[in-house]
Amino acid sequence: MKRILLSAFGVLAMAMATLMPASAETKGTVYYLVPTLLDEFQTGSVSALEMFLGQVGYEMKTLNADNKTDAQQSQMNDVIALKPSAVILAAVDFNALKPSIEAARAAGIPVVEFDRQITSTPSDFTSVAGTIEIGHVAAEQAQKLLTEKNGSVKGKILQVLGDPGDPYTLDIQKGFEEKMKEFPEVTIISHPAMMWEASNAGTIVADNIVSNPDIDLIFNHAAHLSVAAVAALEAAGKKPGDVMMMSSNGAPVGLDLIRKGWLNVEVEQPLYAQAAAVAMFMDKVVNKQEIKAGDYDVLGLPSVVTIEEWGPNIKIPGAAIDKSNVDNPAFWGNMKPPSDTVKSVE
Amino acid sequence: MNPRTRRILELVLDNLVWFMLLFVLIIFSLFVPNYFQLGIFANIIEASSVLGVMSIGLALVIITGHMDLSVESVAALSAMTVGILFCSAGIGLGIVLSPEWLMVPVSLLAAIAVGGLVGTINGVLVVKLNMSAFIITLASYIWVRGLVLAVSGGRSAQDLAPAIRWFGIQRFLGLPLTAWIAITCFVVFSFILAKTPFGRHLVMIGGNQTATFRAGIRVNRNLILAFVMAGAIAGLAGWLLAIRTSGATANLGVGLLFNAFAAVVIGGVSLKGGVGSLPGVYAGVLLLSSINTAINLMGLPPTFTQVIHGLLVLAAVLLDTLKQAIRQKLA
Repeated sequence: MKRILLSAFGVLAMAMATLMPASAETKGTVYYLVPTLLDEFQTGSVSALEMFLGQVGYEMKTLNADNKTDAQQSQMNDVIALKPSAVILAAVDFNALKPSIEAARAAGIPVVEFDRQITSTPSDFTSVAGTIEIGHVAAEQAQKLLTEKNGSVKGKILQVLGDPGDPYTLDIQKGFEEKMKEFPEVTIISHPAMMWEASNAGTIVADNIVSNPDIDLIFNHAAHLSVAAVAALEAAGKKPGDVMMMSSNGAPVGLDLIRKGWLNVEVEQPLYAQAAAVAMFMDKVVNKQEIKAGDYDVLGLPSVVTIEEWGPNIKIPGAAIDKSNVDNPAFWGNMKPPSDTVKSVE
Repeated sequence: MNPRTRRILELVLDNLVWFMLLFVLIIFSLFVPNYFQLGIFANIIEASSVLGVMSIGLALVIITGHMDLSVESVAALSAMTVGILFCSAGIGLGIVLSPEWLMVPVSLLAAIAVGGLVGTINGVLVVKLNMSAFIITLASYIWVRGLVLAVSGGRSAQDLAPAIRWFGIQRFLGLPLTAWIAITCFVVFSFILAKTPFGRHLVMIGGNQTATFRAGIRVNRNLILAFVMAGAIAGLAGWLLAIRTSGATANLGVGLLFNAFAAVVIGGVSLKGGVGSLPGVYAGVLLLSSINTAINLMGLPPTFTQVIHGLLVLAAVLLDTLKQAIRQKLA
């Protein structure tokens, strides 16, 4: 029995040793609190942030909240106790994390908002594409597509949202609908794919294509929902181009669907640039130095830092991807991380 | 009460969920615009295929007086296995077999084997170590979903091989073949449960495990088999899910477990075990799918879906209690 116990402890110790990376000389440890890993954008953000922060001398550790606000709040409390150099937060809930952000900053730990903007309390830096702005870009593309098909901005749009409890999708919807409001001849039918689950999106498309055969355009709030939407269209006997389709976030699946002719437009979130911007300003954030407003070049994308009520905010424009530019390696969906290394802003 | 009235009453009680389905379909057809058309009814049956198959396995375990919370994650793992092996984009390896039709049985076997393996682990731990099925399968629900995330790295596999995808596109009598697979499963497992010694033993175990053991029936073996079958059937559901979505994402199938439980309860299977039939479960699945479709067509706020599901389960349990009371009076 003793021998078995000793062997078991030995195996456990070896396993633990393999899990603990050897510590190297770094400027410090930064924790990234990612909302979920069940999404290609978020998985991509982990590797992009890790790579860029490594280039400017920081080690990054990631905690996954599995889309649970309470789990992310607990993670924040744990991380505060560890006193890292900084925390990068992509909040599950934009407002619920406010007390945790305030607690971290009160403990002297800078907080960087990534991808999801929190305006209700100050942060040390915010790097976003802007979810409402993604809705705006999507609306511009929808107007273009409807004009090409119907001669003017008129027709029927099926909007497949993500989970209705996720502010991310609600913001895109808000941005999209406020720009489309100007066109009374456009009817928008909106349905949520509960829990961002692909087969739910497939069912919505399958039902609506039968009940509303005159749908001109389908707008899915994430590329992985488009895959199921395409499967539903295919099962209904449709061919690429029969129904126009667009989605947002610029995931690899979306780009593949553009190449196959199913998807007309993918509105990209500039993942690499968003992550690179965080790394570029990390020294200033950690050392609590002033971040100046102005124009910056982030991986070749013209980006603007403004000083808002909630702190310095860099906004990087999202791009509309279609057949003409789908192979551009700058899009994160092409899975070719930039070869240029980022440098800290002086 | 005269014998004729009694017979009619018993018929209604035995098939209450089917009458509920009929009632709901008539109401929706009358009041929901565009609902009454063949395409929509085909959609209802097609959308029921994955949930229906998953509910069969869950019902088998619940009838034995246990439960299996892992079926949703098992389906996701099987779908991801098929996706990784036979998808050509994303993380798919794009394996091509020659002749191409060979990919159908190989992918199906892979999905069922993955499910059967998890089912075996669940069954052995529950039966041999006498551990709570709730805890063991809850653990499986978590670690299997974690495994999906680990093997996929959070990425997705797309572009399922056309030979496999064919089942989602090809139609027979207006229904995709995936729906026919689900219907066949219900027919086969209904027969097994009602007409074979193994099926009857499962019901007996759920009714009174000790008495069944004393009657000389191999309770442990049958219970393990029930868990293995639940896992394997969840694997089949995963195969259908991969076909339906032409690949797999890490969050595929999230939320299916609760719908499967709702369908099983609405279908008249007692959570205490020993009572239930699979045709009733299929009616429960169709009922949920009919309501989802109505919500899709009506454009109701999304939160209504869950409220309606919850109320429906509650109504089904209340109806079941009422049914038992009426039966006692009839006896």
